Amino acid sequence: MSESVVTNVVVPMNFPYNYRVGQYIETYIRGLGEGKILGIKCPSCGKVMVPPRKICGVCDRVMEEWVEVGPEGTVENYTVGHVRLNLGEVERLDTPVLLALIKLDGADSLLAGEVRGIEPEKLGDGLRVRAVFKDPAGDSLSDLEYFEPEK
Amino acid sequence: MERKIAIVGQAQVNSGDVGMPRERLLFELVKGLFDQLGINRHDIDNYLICSNDFTTGRTISNVFEDSPIGAYLKDETKAEVDGVLATTYAMIRIMSGLYDTSLVVSNCLGASECRPYLVMDYQLNPTYDRQLGILNELSTAALQARCYMDTFGMTEGQLDETAARLLDNAARNPDSLPSNSAVTPGDVAASEYLYEPLRQLHCYPFTDGACALVLASEEKAKELTDTPVWIKGVGDSVETNYLGERDLARSRSTKLAGERAYGMAGITDPAGQIDVAEVTAKFASQEPIITEALGLFPEGSGGDVADKGLANTDGDMPVCPSGGALGAYAFAASGLVRLAECFKQLTGTAGDTQVEGARTALAHGQDGFCAQHNAVMVLSREEV
Repeated sequence: MSESVVTNVVVPMNFPYNYRVGQYIETYIRGLGEGKILGIKCPSCGKVMVPPRKICGVCDRVMEEWVEVGPEGTVENYTVGHVRLNLGEVERLDTPVLLALIKLDGADSLLAGEVRGIEPEKLGDGLRVRAVFKDPAGDSLSDLEYFEPEK
Repeated sequence: MERKIAIVGQAQVNSGDVGMPRERLLFELVKGLFDQLGINRHDIDNYLICSNDFTTGRTISNVFEDSPIGAYLKDETKAEVDGVLATTYAMIRIMSGLYDTSLVVSNCLGASECRPYLVMDYQLNPTYDRQLGILNELSTAALQARCYMDTFGMTEGQLDETAARLLDNAARNPDSLPSNSAVTPGDVAASEYLYEPLRQLHCYPFTDGACALVLASEEKAKELTDTPVWIKGVGDSVETNYLGERDLARSRSTKLAGERAYGMAGITDPAGQIDVAEVTAKFASQEPIITEALGLFPEGSGGDVADKGLANTDGDMPVCPSGGALGAYAFAASGLVRLAECFKQLTGTAGDTQVEGARTALAHGQDGFCAQHNAVMVLSREEV
Protein backbone atom coordinates (compact mmCIF):
# COMPACT_ATOMS: atom_id res chain seq x y z
CA MET A 1 0.00 0.00 0.00
CA SER A 2 1.55 3.30 -1.09
CA GLU A 3 1.90 5.86 1.69
CA SER A 4 3.30 8.85 -0.19
CA VAL A 5 2.32 12.02 1.65
CA VAL A 6 1.73 13.84 -1.63
CA THR A 7 -0.77 11.49 -3.24
CA ASN A 8 -2.33 9.60 -0.33
CA VAL A 9 -3.43 10.03 3.22
CA VAL A 10 -3.41 7.06 5.59
CA VAL A 11 -6.42 6.98 7.88
CA PRO A 12 -6.16 4.48 10.75
CA MET A 13 -9.37 3.62 12.53
CA ASN A 14 -9.84 2.02 15.89
CA PHE A 15 -13.35 1.11 16.93
CA PRO A 16 -13.49 -1.01 20.10
CA TYR A 17 -16.82 -2.81 20.49
CA ASN A 18 -18.07 -4.31 23.72
CA TYR A 19 -20.15 -7.33 22.68
CA ARG A 20 -22.33 -9.28 25.09
CA VAL A 21 -21.48 -12.93 24.49
CA GLY A 22 -24.83 -14.28 25.71
CA GLN A 23 -25.66 -16.88 28.35
CA TYR A 24 -24.59 -19.90 26.28
CA ILE A 25 -21.05 -18.74 25.50
CA GLU A 26 -20.80 -17.41 29.06
CA THR A 27 -21.55 -20.90 30.40
CA TYR A 28 -19.12 -22.39 27.88
CA ILE A 29 -16.31 -20.03 29.00
CA ARG A 30 -16.99 -20.80 32.68
CA GLY A 31 -16.73 -24.50 31.80
CA LEU A 32 -13.37 -23.98 30.11
CA GLY A 33 -12.13 -22.36 33.33
CA GLU A 34 -12.88 -25.66 35.10
CA GLY A 35 -11.19 -27.71 32.38
CA LYS A 36 -14.49 -28.83 30.85
CA ILE A 37 -15.77 -28.42 27.28
CA LEU A 38 -19.54 -28.03 27.33
CA GLY A 39 -21.77 -28.73 24.38
CA ILE A 40 -25.51 -28.46 24.03
CA LYS A 41 -27.88 -31.20 22.86
CA CYS A 42 -30.87 -30.71 20.57
CA PRO A 43 -34.04 -32.35 21.98
CA SER A 44 -35.19 -33.15 18.45
CA CYS A 45 -32.24 -34.41 16.37
CA GLY A 46 -30.12 -35.31 19.40
CA LYS A 47 -27.02 -33.69 17.95
CA VAL A 48 -24.51 -32.08 20.32
CA MET A 49 -23.13 -28.72 19.18
CA VAL A 50 -19.88 -27.13 20.33
CA PRO A 51 -19.59 -24.21 20.88
CA PRO A 52 -23.11 -24.14 22.31
CA ARG A 53 -25.96 -21.91 21.22
CA LYS A 54 -29.60 -21.62 22.06
CA ILE A 55 -31.40 -22.76 18.91
CA CYS A 56 -30.83 -25.78 16.69
CA GLY A 57 -31.11 -24.14 13.29
CA VAL A 58 -32.02 -27.39 11.56
CA CYS A 59 -34.84 -28.37 13.96
CA ASP A 60 -35.78 -24.86 15.12
CA ARG A 61 -35.82 -26.06 18.72
CA VAL A 62 -34.50 -24.50 21.92
CA MET A 63 -31.56 -26.49 23.28
CA GLU A 64 -31.21 -26.73 27.08
CA GLU A 65 -29.41 -29.99 27.83
CA TRP A 66 -25.75 -29.34 28.59
CA VAL A 67 -23.34 -32.19 27.82
CA GLU A 68 -19.65 -32.42 28.63
CA VAL A 69 -17.65 -33.43 25.54
CA GLY A 70 -13.97 -34.24 24.87
CA PRO A 71 -11.41 -33.25 25.98
CA GLU A 72 -10.18 -35.84 23.46
CA GLY A 73 -11.21 -35.74 19.85
CA THR A 74 -10.32 -36.60 16.27
CA VAL A 75 -8.94 -34.31 13.56
CA GLU A 76 -11.42 -34.17 10.68
CA ASN A 77 -9.85 -31.38 8.60
CA TYR A 78 -6.65 -29.38 8.88
CA THR A 79 -4.33 -26.86 7.29
CA VAL A 80 -0.66 -26.03 7.74
CA GLY A 81 -0.25 -22.26 7.79
CA HIS A 82 2.98 -20.81 6.41
CA VAL A 83 1.77 -17.27 6.98
CA ARG A 84 -0.25 -15.32 9.45
CA LEU A 85 -2.45 -12.31 8.88
CA ASN A 86 -1.60 -9.26 10.94
CA LEU A 87 -4.39 -6.69 10.52
CA GLY A 88 -4.94 -8.13 7.06
CA GLU A 89 -1.29 -8.08 6.00
CA VAL A 90 0.34 -11.40 5.10
CA GLU A 91 3.42 -12.18 7.17
CA ARG A 92 5.50 -15.31 6.50
CA LEU A 93 6.20 -17.59 9.45
CA ASP A 94 9.48 -19.36 10.20
CA THR A 95 7.60 -22.14 12.00
CA PRO A 96 4.28 -23.24 10.47
CA VAL A 97 1.11 -22.98 12.53
CA LEU A 98 -1.20 -26.02 12.52
CA LEU A 99 -4.94 -25.49 12.46
CA ALA A 100 -7.54 -28.26 12.65
CA LEU A 101 -11.27 -28.81 12.76
CA ILE A 102 -11.73 -31.35 15.54
CA LYS A 103 -14.66 -33.63 16.33
CA LEU A 104 -14.58 -33.86 20.11
CA ASP A 105 -15.69 -37.18 21.58
CA GLY A 106 -19.43 -36.88 22.20
CA ALA A 107 -19.93 -33.89 19.86
CA ASP A 108 -21.45 -33.75 16.37
CA SER A 109 -20.07 -30.40 15.18
CA LEU A 110 -16.43 -29.53 14.58
CA LEU A 111 -14.41 -27.18 16.76
CA ALA A 112 -11.56 -25.12 15.31
CA GLY A 113 -8.31 -25.26 17.25
CA GLU A 114 -4.57 -24.93 17.00
CA VAL A 115 -2.56 -28.15 17.25
CA ARG A 116 0.91 -28.05 18.83
CA GLY A 117 3.54 -30.62 19.65
CA ILE A 118 3.57 -32.47 16.32
CA GLU A 119 5.47 -32.24 13.03
CA PRO A 120 3.35 -30.66 10.25
CA GLU A 121 3.67 -33.76 8.06
CA LYS A 122 2.20 -35.93 10.86
CA LEU A 123 -0.94 -33.81 11.11
CA GLY A 124 -3.76 -35.51 9.23
CA ASP A 125 -7.36 -36.62 9.28
CA GLY A 126 -7.99 -39.18 12.00
CA LEU A 127 -5.24 -37.94 14.32
CA ARG A 128 -6.34 -38.22 17.97
CA VAL A 129 -5.80 -35.04 19.97
CA ARG A 130 -6.50 -33.76 23.46
CA ALA A 131 -7.37 -30.26 24.67
CA VAL A 132 -4.83 -28.39 26.79
CA PHE A 133 -6.29 -25.80 29.16
CA LYS A 134 -4.65 -22.64 30.42
CA ASP A 135 -3.56 -22.75 34.04
CA PRO A 136 -4.54 -20.57 35.77
CA ALA A 137 -7.72 -19.91 33.82
CA GLY A 138 -8.44 -16.39 32.67
CA ASP A 139 -12.20 -16.40 32.06
CA SER A 140 -11.85 -16.24 28.29
CA LEU A 141 -12.18 -18.48 25.23
CA SER A 142 -8.40 -18.84 25.22
CA ASP A 143 -8.68 -20.94 28.41
CA LEU A 144 -8.87 -23.77 25.86
CA GLU A 145 -5.35 -22.95 24.75
CA TYR A 146 -4.55 -25.57 22.08
CA PHE A 147 -4.71 -29.28 21.25
CA GLU A 148 -1.85 -31.79 21.41
CA PRO A 149 -1.58 -35.38 20.17
CA GLU A 150 -3.23 -37.84 22.55
CA LYS A 151 -0.59 -39.67 24.53
CA MET B 1 -41.90 -12.88 -14.55
CA GLU B 2 -44.60 -10.26 -14.88
CA ARG B 3 -42.38 -7.71 -16.58
CA LYS B 4 -39.42 -8.53 -18.80
CA ILE B 5 -36.17 -6.94 -17.63
CA ALA B 6 -32.96 -6.72 -19.64
CA ILE B 7 -29.38 -5.65 -19.13
CA VAL B 8 -28.62 -3.17 -21.91
CA GLY B 9 -25.04 -2.12 -21.22
CA GLN B 10 -21.97 -2.72 -19.09
CA ALA B 11 -18.74 -0.97 -18.22
CA GLN B 12 -15.97 -2.16 -15.93
CA VAL B 13 -12.44 -1.40 -14.83
CA ASN B 14 -10.04 -3.66 -12.93
CA SER B 15 -6.58 -2.52 -11.95
CA GLY B 16 -3.71 -3.30 -9.60
CA ASP B 17 -3.72 0.40 -8.68
CA VAL B 18 -6.25 2.58 -10.39
CA GLY B 19 -4.28 5.68 -9.36
CA MET B 20 -7.22 8.02 -8.86
CA PRO B 21 -9.82 8.78 -6.21
CA ARG B 22 -12.90 6.58 -6.16
CA GLU B 23 -15.14 9.49 -7.15
CA ARG B 24 -13.26 10.16 -10.40
CA LEU B 25 -13.11 6.44 -11.16
CA LEU B 26 -16.89 6.15 -10.76
CA PHE B 27 -17.60 9.33 -12.74
CA GLU B 28 -15.51 8.21 -15.71
CA LEU B 29 -16.92 4.68 -15.62
CA VAL B 30 -20.56 5.77 -15.56
CA LYS B 31 -20.08 8.67 -17.99
CA GLY B 32 -18.50 6.21 -20.41
CA LEU B 33 -21.46 3.86 -20.08
CA PHE B 34 -23.99 6.68 -20.54
CA ASP B 35 -22.13 7.87 -23.67
CA GLN B 36 -22.05 4.32 -25.02
CA LEU B 37 -25.85 4.10 -24.65
CA GLY B 38 -26.50 7.69 -25.74
CA ILE B 39 -28.25 8.61 -22.49
CA ASN B 40 -27.67 10.96 -19.58
CA ARG B 41 -28.35 10.79 -15.86
CA HIS B 42 -31.94 11.97 -16.26
CA ASP B 43 -32.71 8.84 -18.28
CA ILE B 44 -32.08 6.69 -15.21
CA ASP B 45 -35.12 6.28 -12.93
CA ASN B 46 -33.41 4.43 -10.11
CA TYR B 47 -29.79 4.24 -8.93
CA LEU B 48 -28.46 1.27 -7.00
CA ILE B 49 -25.04 1.28 -5.36
CA CYS B 50 -23.37 -1.88 -4.14
CA SER B 51 -20.40 -1.08 -1.92
CA ASN B 52 -19.18 -1.96 1.52
CA ASP B 53 -18.69 0.32 4.52
CA PHE B 54 -15.56 -1.51 5.66
CA THR B 55 -13.83 -1.38 2.27
CA THR B 56 -14.49 2.35 1.97
CA GLY B 57 -13.71 3.09 5.63
CA ARG B 58 -16.80 5.11 6.31
CA THR B 59 -20.31 4.34 7.41
CA ILE B 60 -22.80 4.54 4.56
CA SER B 61 -20.22 3.85 1.86
CA ASN B 62 -22.45 5.29 -0.86
CA VAL B 63 -22.55 8.75 0.69
CA PHE B 64 -19.87 10.17 -1.63
CA GLU B 65 -20.62 7.81 -4.51
CA ASP B 66 -24.03 9.12 -5.52
CA SER B 67 -22.85 12.39 -7.07
CA PRO B 68 -20.14 10.97 -9.38
CA ILE B 69 -22.56 8.36 -10.77
CA GLY B 70 -25.26 10.95 -11.43
CA ALA B 71 -27.58 9.96 -8.60
CA TYR B 72 -27.58 13.39 -6.97
CA LEU B 73 -31.17 14.25 -5.96
CA LYS B 74 -32.38 11.08 -7.73
CA ASP B 75 -34.01 7.91 -6.43
CA GLU B 76 -30.96 6.14 -5.03
CA THR B 77 -30.50 3.19 -2.71
CA LYS B 78 -27.81 0.76 -1.66
CA ALA B 79 -27.38 -2.98 -1.36
CA GLU B 80 -24.27 -4.44 0.26
CA VAL B 81 -22.91 -7.99 -0.07
CA ASP B 82 -22.60 -8.55 -3.82
CA GLY B 83 -23.45 -7.14 -7.24
CA VAL B 84 -25.73 -10.04 -8.21
CA LEU B 85 -27.93 -9.25 -5.21
CA ALA B 86 -27.87 -5.54 -6.03
CA THR B 87 -28.89 -6.33 -9.60
CA THR B 88 -31.72 -8.49 -8.27
CA TYR B 89 -32.85 -5.54 -6.18
CA ALA B 90 -32.74 -3.23 -9.23
CA MET B 91 -34.66 -5.81 -11.26
CA ILE B 92 -37.38 -6.01 -8.62
CA ARG B 93 -37.70 -2.21 -8.59
CA ILE B 94 -38.28 -2.18 -12.34
CA MET B 95 -40.69 -5.13 -12.04
CA SER B 96 -42.73 -3.08 -9.58
CA GLY B 97 -43.76 -0.88 -12.48
CA LEU B 98 -42.55 2.29 -10.74
CA TYR B 99 -39.32 2.50 -12.74
CA ASP B 100 -38.20 1.72 -16.29
CA THR B 101 -34.44 2.06 -15.99
CA SER B 102 -31.89 1.37 -13.29
CA LEU B 103 -28.15 1.89 -12.98
CA VAL B 104 -26.29 -0.57 -10.77
CA VAL B 105 -22.78 0.47 -9.73
CA SER B 106 -20.28 -1.31 -7.51
CA ASN B 107 -16.69 -0.65 -6.54
CA CYS B 108 -13.87 -1.51 -4.17
CA LEU B 109 -10.27 -0.30 -4.11
CA GLY B 110 -8.94 -3.50 -2.59
CA ALA B 111 -5.42 -3.09 -3.97
CA SER B 112 -4.53 0.52 -3.22
CA GLU B 113 -6.94 1.58 -0.49
CA CYS B 114 -8.02 -1.16 1.92
CA ARG B 115 -6.92 -4.63 3.00
CA PRO B 116 -9.43 -7.25 1.84
CA TYR B 117 -8.27 -9.90 4.34
CA LEU B 118 -8.81 -7.44 7.19
CA VAL B 119 -12.29 -6.63 5.91
CA MET B 120 -13.02 -10.34 5.95
CA ASP B 121 -11.73 -10.64 9.54
CA TYR B 122 -14.60 -8.36 10.50
CA GLN B 123 -17.09 -10.82 9.01
CA LEU B 124 -16.13 -13.40 11.64
CA ASN B 125 -18.51 -13.89 14.53
CA PRO B 126 -17.02 -11.40 17.01
CA THR B 127 -17.88 -13.24 20.21
CA TYR B 128 -16.38 -16.58 19.19
CA ASP B 129 -14.60 -17.17 15.88
CA ARG B 130 -12.82 -13.82 15.80
CA GLN B 131 -11.63 -14.29 19.40
CA LEU B 132 -9.76 -17.49 18.50
CA GLY B 133 -7.24 -15.60 16.36
CA ILE B 134 -6.67 -18.55 14.00
CA LEU B 135 -9.57 -18.23 11.57
CA ASN B 136 -9.25 -15.80 8.68
CA GLU B 137 -10.17 -15.76 5.01
CA LEU B 138 -7.10 -17.75 3.95
CA SER B 139 -7.13 -20.40 6.68
CA THR B 140 -10.86 -21.06 6.23
CA ALA B 141 -10.50 -21.25 2.43
CA ALA B 142 -7.68 -23.75 2.94
CA LEU B 143 -9.88 -25.90 5.18
CA GLN B 144 -12.62 -25.79 2.53
CA ALA B 145 -10.12 -26.72 -0.20
CA ARG B 146 -8.75 -29.61 1.86
CA CYS B 147 -12.24 -30.86 2.61
CA TYR B 148 -13.23 -30.96 -1.08
CA MET B 149 -9.91 -32.45 -2.21
CA ASP B 150 -9.88 -35.16 0.49
CA THR B 151 -13.54 -36.03 -0.01
CA PHE B 152 -13.32 -36.38 -3.79
CA GLY B 153 -9.65 -37.16 -4.41
CA MET B 154 -8.70 -34.00 -6.26
CA THR B 155 -4.92 -33.55 -6.27
CA GLU B 156 -2.89 -30.39 -5.76
CA GLY B 157 -1.70 -30.78 -9.37
CA GLN B 158 -5.31 -30.67 -10.56
CA LEU B 159 -5.90 -27.58 -8.43
CA ASP B 160 -2.86 -26.01 -10.14
CA GLU B 161 -4.38 -26.86 -13.54
CA THR B 162 -7.65 -25.16 -12.53
CA ALA B 163 -5.84 -22.00 -11.44
CA ALA B 164 -3.64 -21.96 -14.56
CA ARG B 165 -6.71 -22.23 -16.81
CA LEU B 166 -8.33 -19.24 -15.09
CA LEU B 167 -5.17 -17.11 -15.15
CA ASP B 168 -4.63 -18.02 -18.79
CA ASN B 169 -8.20 -16.90 -19.56
CA ALA B 170 -7.66 -13.68 -17.62
CA ALA B 171 -4.58 -12.87 -19.70
CA ARG B 172 -6.83 -12.82 -22.79
CA ASN B 173 -9.41 -10.55 -21.16
CA PRO B 174 -8.61 -6.83 -21.48
CA ASP B 175 -11.11 -6.09 -18.68
CA SER B 176 -9.24 -8.26 -16.17
CA LEU B 177 -6.10 -7.13 -14.31
CA PRO B 178 -3.50 -5.86 -16.82
CA SER B 179 -0.78 -7.67 -14.85
CA ASN B 180 -2.22 -11.09 -15.73
CA SER B 181 -0.08 -13.21 -18.00
CA ALA B 182 -0.40 -16.77 -19.22
CA VAL B 183 0.90 -19.19 -16.61
CA THR B 184 1.43 -22.95 -16.54
CA PRO B 185 0.34 -25.33 -13.76
CA GLY B 186 4.06 -25.49 -12.94
CA ASP B 187 4.13 -21.74 -12.34
CA VAL B 188 1.17 -22.13 -9.97
CA ALA B 189 2.92 -24.99 -8.14
CA ALA B 190 6.03 -22.81 -7.82
CA SER B 191 4.14 -20.03 -6.03
CA GLU B 192 4.43 -20.09 -2.26
CA TYR B 193 2.12 -21.90 0.12
CA LEU B 194 -0.03 -19.62 2.25
CA TYR B 195 -2.16 -22.15 4.12
CA GLU B 196 -1.81 -25.65 2.61
CA PRO B 197 -3.05 -26.71 0.12
CA LEU B 198 -3.55 -23.11 -1.08
CA ARG B 199 -0.69 -21.36 -2.82
CA GLN B 200 -0.48 -17.69 -3.76
CA LEU B 201 -1.68 -18.27 -7.33
CA HIS B 202 -4.75 -20.21 -6.17
CA CYS B 203 -6.03 -17.04 -4.51
CA TYR B 204 -7.78 -13.92 -5.78
CA PRO B 205 -5.54 -10.92 -6.48
CA PHE B 206 -6.04 -7.63 -4.63
CA THR B 207 -7.86 -5.41 -7.11
CA ASP B 208 -9.05 -1.85 -7.55
CA GLY B 209 -12.23 -2.40 -9.47
CA ALA B 210 -15.59 -0.97 -10.42
CA CYS B 211 -18.44 -2.09 -12.61
CA ALA B 212 -21.70 -0.58 -13.84
CA LEU B 213 -24.74 -2.07 -15.56
CA VAL B 214 -27.87 -0.45 -16.97
CA LEU B 215 -31.09 -2.42 -16.58
CA ALA B 216 -34.29 -1.57 -18.42
CA SER B 217 -37.86 -2.66 -18.87
CA GLU B 218 -38.81 -4.39 -22.14
CA GLU B 219 -39.93 -1.19 -23.92
CA LYS B 220 -36.92 0.87 -22.79
CA ALA B 221 -34.48 -1.98 -23.46
CA LYS B 222 -35.55 -2.18 -27.08
CA GLU B 223 -35.12 1.59 -27.43
CA LEU B 224 -31.62 1.50 -25.96
CA THR B 225 -30.09 -1.50 -27.71
CA ASP B 226 -30.54 -4.08 -30.45
CA THR B 227 -29.01 -6.75 -28.23
CA PRO B 228 -30.78 -6.77 -24.85
CA VAL B 229 -29.74 -9.56 -22.49
CA TRP B 230 -32.82 -10.77 -20.63
CA ILE B 231 -32.83 -11.70 -16.99
CA LYS B 232 -34.61 -15.05 -16.93
CA GLY B 233 -34.19 -16.18 -13.35
CA VAL B 234 -32.66 -15.20 -10.01
CA GLY B 235 -32.05 -16.95 -6.72
CA ASP B 236 -30.06 -16.50 -3.57
CA SER B 237 -29.45 -18.39 -0.37
CA VAL B 238 -27.40 -18.02 2.79
CA GLU B 239 -26.27 -20.73 5.18
CA THR B 240 -24.80 -20.88 8.69
CA ASN B 241 -21.69 -18.84 9.36
CA TYR B 242 -20.34 -21.53 11.68
CA LEU B 243 -17.86 -23.61 9.67
CA GLY B 244 -17.94 -26.49 12.13
CA GLU B 245 -21.51 -27.27 11.14
CA ARG B 246 -21.13 -26.97 7.36
CA ASP B 247 -20.23 -29.62 4.81
CA LEU B 248 -17.39 -27.67 3.21
CA ALA B 249 -16.99 -30.10 0.29
CA ARG B 250 -20.38 -29.03 -1.03
CA SER B 251 -22.28 -25.75 -1.16
CA ARG B 252 -25.83 -26.21 0.00
CA SER B 253 -26.69 -22.52 -0.36
CA THR B 254 -25.34 -22.33 -3.93
CA LYS B 255 -27.45 -25.38 -4.81
CA LEU B 256 -30.59 -23.75 -3.41
CA ALA B 257 -29.82 -20.40 -5.08
CA GLY B 258 -29.31 -22.21 -8.39
CA GLU B 259 -32.51 -24.20 -8.06
CA ARG B 260 -34.49 -21.01 -7.44
CA ALA B 261 -32.97 -19.30 -10.48
CA TYR B 262 -33.44 -22.39 -12.65
CA GLY B 263 -37.07 -22.71 -11.57
CA MET B 264 -37.81 -19.16 -12.76
CA ALA B 265 -35.80 -19.54 -15.95
CA GLY B 266 -37.19 -22.94 -16.92
CA ILE B 267 -33.77 -24.58 -16.75
CA THR B 268 -34.15 -28.32 -16.18
CA ASP B 269 -30.76 -29.47 -17.50
CA PRO B 270 -28.22 -26.82 -16.43
CA ALA B 271 -25.20 -28.38 -18.15
CA GLY B 272 -27.17 -28.81 -21.36
CA GLN B 273 -28.99 -25.48 -21.41
CA ILE B 274 -26.34 -23.09 -20.11
CA ASP B 275 -23.67 -22.17 -22.67
CA VAL B 276 -21.30 -20.32 -20.37
CA ALA B 277 -21.01 -19.76 -16.60
CA GLU B 278 -19.26 -16.93 -14.80
CA VAL B 279 -18.89 -17.88 -11.13
CA THR B 280 -17.20 -16.07 -8.26
CA ALA B 281 -14.58 -18.55 -7.05
CA LYS B 282 -12.28 -16.45 -4.86
CA PHE B 283 -9.97 -19.45 -4.64
CA ALA B 284 -9.41 -22.00 -7.42
CA SER B 285 -10.61 -24.70 -5.02
CA GLN B 286 -14.06 -23.07 -4.82
CA GLU B 287 -14.75 -23.46 -8.54
CA PRO B 288 -15.60 -27.19 -8.48
CA ILE B 289 -17.66 -26.77 -5.29
CA ILE B 290 -19.74 -23.95 -6.80
CA THR B 291 -20.13 -25.36 -10.32
CA GLU B 292 -21.12 -28.78 -8.96
CA ALA B 293 -23.71 -27.22 -6.65
CA LEU B 294 -25.10 -25.49 -9.74
CA GLY B 295 -25.40 -28.83 -11.53
CA LEU B 296 -22.92 -27.86 -14.25
CA PHE B 297 -20.69 -30.85 -13.46
CA PRO B 298 -21.23 -34.09 -11.52
CA GLU B 299 -20.41 -33.99 -7.81
CA GLY B 300 -16.75 -34.60 -7.04
CA SER B 301 -15.56 -34.23 -10.64
CA GLY B 302 -13.18 -31.29 -10.09
CA GLY B 303 -10.07 -33.34 -10.82
CA ASP B 304 -11.56 -34.83 -13.95
CA VAL B 305 -12.79 -31.44 -15.19
CA ALA B 306 -9.26 -30.06 -14.77
CA ASP B 307 -7.54 -33.01 -16.48
CA LYS B 308 -9.91 -33.12 -19.45
CA GLY B 309 -10.27 -29.36 -19.88
CA LEU B 310 -14.07 -29.60 -19.64
CA ALA B 311 -14.36 -26.04 -18.28
CA ASN B 312 -12.14 -24.54 -20.99
CA THR B 313 -13.57 -21.78 -23.14
CA ASP B 314 -13.86 -24.33 -25.98
CA GLY B 315 -14.78 -27.17 -23.60
CA ASP B 316 -18.07 -28.96 -22.88
CA MET B 317 -19.13 -26.45 -20.19
CA PRO B 318 -17.13 -23.22 -20.34
CA VAL B 319 -16.59 -21.66 -16.90
CA CYS B 320 -15.13 -18.20 -16.39
CA PRO B 321 -13.70 -17.52 -19.85
CA SER B 322 -13.00 -14.06 -18.36
CA GLY B 323 -10.59 -15.55 -15.83
CA GLY B 324 -13.14 -15.10 -13.07
CA ALA B 325 -12.16 -13.90 -9.62
CA LEU B 326 -8.64 -15.29 -10.04
CA GLY B 327 -8.08 -12.70 -12.76
CA ALA B 328 -9.53 -9.79 -10.77
CA TYR B 329 -11.60 -9.58 -7.63
CA ALA B 330 -13.07 -6.34 -6.35
CA PHE B 331 -15.03 -6.92 -3.16
CA ALA B 332 -18.80 -6.61 -3.72
CA ALA B 333 -18.27 -5.69 -7.39
CA SER B 334 -17.28 -9.20 -8.40
CA GLY B 335 -20.83 -10.45 -8.96
CA LEU B 336 -21.53 -7.40 -11.11
CA VAL B 337 -18.39 -8.13 -13.14
CA ARG B 338 -19.64 -11.71 -13.64
CA LEU B 339 -22.90 -10.30 -15.00
CA ALA B 340 -20.98 -7.87 -17.22
CA GLU B 341 -18.88 -10.74 -18.57
CA CYS B 342 -22.05 -12.75 -19.30
CA PHE B 343 -23.42 -9.68 -21.11
CA LYS B 344 -20.26 -9.57 -23.24
CA GLN B 345 -20.59 -13.28 -24.03
CA LEU B 346 -24.26 -13.05 -25.00
CA THR B 347 -23.80 -9.96 -27.15
CA GLY B 348 -20.81 -11.45 -28.97
CA THR B 349 -18.45 -8.77 -27.68
CA ALA B 350 -16.16 -10.94 -25.56
CA GLY B 351 -13.28 -10.80 -28.05
CA ASP B 352 -10.57 -13.38 -27.40
CA THR B 353 -12.58 -14.89 -24.55
CA GLN B 354 -15.75 -15.41 -26.61
CA VAL B 355 -17.63 -18.72 -26.28
CA GLU B 356 -18.91 -19.35 -29.79
CA GLY B 357 -22.66 -19.05 -30.17
CA ALA B 358 -23.41 -18.43 -26.47
CA ARG B 359 -27.13 -17.70 -25.99
CA THR B 360 -27.75 -18.53 -22.32
CA ALA B 361 -25.41 -17.71 -19.43
CA LEU B 362 -25.21 -18.02 -15.66
CA ALA B 363 -23.67 -15.46 -13.32
CA HIS B 364 -22.87 -16.20 -9.67
CA GLY B 365 -21.83 -13.93 -6.82
CA GLN B 366 -20.92 -14.69 -3.24
CA ASP B 367 -19.91 -13.24 0.08
CA GLY B 368 -18.83 -14.59 3.44
CA PHE B 369 -16.40 -17.24 4.61
CA CYS B 370 -16.21 -20.27 2.29
CA ALA B 371 -18.99 -18.79 0.13
CA GLN B 372 -21.60 -18.58 2.88
CA HIS B 373 -24.00 -16.41 0.85
CA ASN B 374 -24.59 -17.16 -2.82
CA ALA B 375 -26.61 -15.47 -5.54
CA VAL B 376 -27.32 -16.74 -9.04
CA MET B 377 -28.76 -15.11 -12.14
CA VAL B 378 -29.66 -16.77 -15.46
CA LEU B 379 -29.41 -14.56 -18.54
CA SER B 380 -30.39 -15.14 -22.13
CA ARG B 381 -30.55 -13.51 -25.53
CA GLU B 382 -33.83 -15.36 -26.07
CA GLU B 383 -36.66 -13.01 -25.18
CA VAL B 384 -39.19 -15.79 -24.58
